[in-house]
Amino acid sequence: MTSEPEPELREALLAAVPSLRAFAISLSGQVDRADDLVQDTLLRALSNLHRFEPGTNLNAWLFTILRNLFHSEYRKRRREIEDPDGSYAGRLKVQPEQGAHLDFEDFRSALSQLPSDQREALLLVGASGFSYEEAANICGCAVGTIKSRVNRARIRLASLLNVDDIDDLGPDSMTRAALQG
Amino acid sequence: MTVDKGNKLARVSLDNGSGEKLATDPKLDSGSQKRIGDQLRAMYDELMQQPVPDRFRDLLEQLDKNGQKDGSQ
Repeated sequence: MTSEPEPELREALLAAVPSLRAFAISLSGQVDRADDLVQDTLLRALSNLHRFEPGTNLNAWLFTILRNLFHSEYRKRRREIEDPDGSYAGRLKVQPEQGAHLDFEDFRSALSQLPSDQREALLLVGASGFSYEEAANICGCAVGTIKSRVNRARIRLASLLNVDDIDDLGPDSMTRAALQG
Repeated sequence: MTVDKGNKLARVSLDNGSGEKLATDPKLDSGSQKRIGDQLRAMYDELMQQPVPDRFRDLLEQLDKNGQKDGSQ
């Protein structure tokens, strides 16, 4: 009966959109697909508002929904790929919307090479600002598992990006150069 | 006697492994870890600063209107 979102809640949902999008884009690697995921997440959240416990972390709840949608959709799409007419591959190449240009090409490509469980753990803890405990709740696994996934993700990224090789260079040498110049 | 020795050994290895089982995984040095973290956050911040597409604002407003009309959905 009274399931319409209250103005405060609507604002809270709207405020969560940028971080949901950032997570969805980083997880899926595609802006258009990420926006569909965010939209489905909002709709799912609105129809399940009675299951949200007031006073608990709204963002963590929304991230849990988005993450579960991403994984169930991923499984569905894997079945679709069996379809050999090439239309799926064609759709994969859809360009991001105008104005949604994505930077950090190298980093993004390295991120996309991680197994998805490591990628999501790193994104939740290293970028979205969740604690290991919150990330474990969102992914439905043990805290130790999250810690291990984050650790492995960092090691893999470091080797993909050759971070080890530039230990003595990077920002510090740039700062020095700037100070000298 | 042998039992005692066994217990001692067990205690020693427990003490060594106090940092969970992560201790067996290789770890990145803190410099590399920071560099990865900085790049990750820089990429993420750029995404966070993108304007919210109108479709989300429209969606929530639409639901609000529908809600006022018939209380469902």
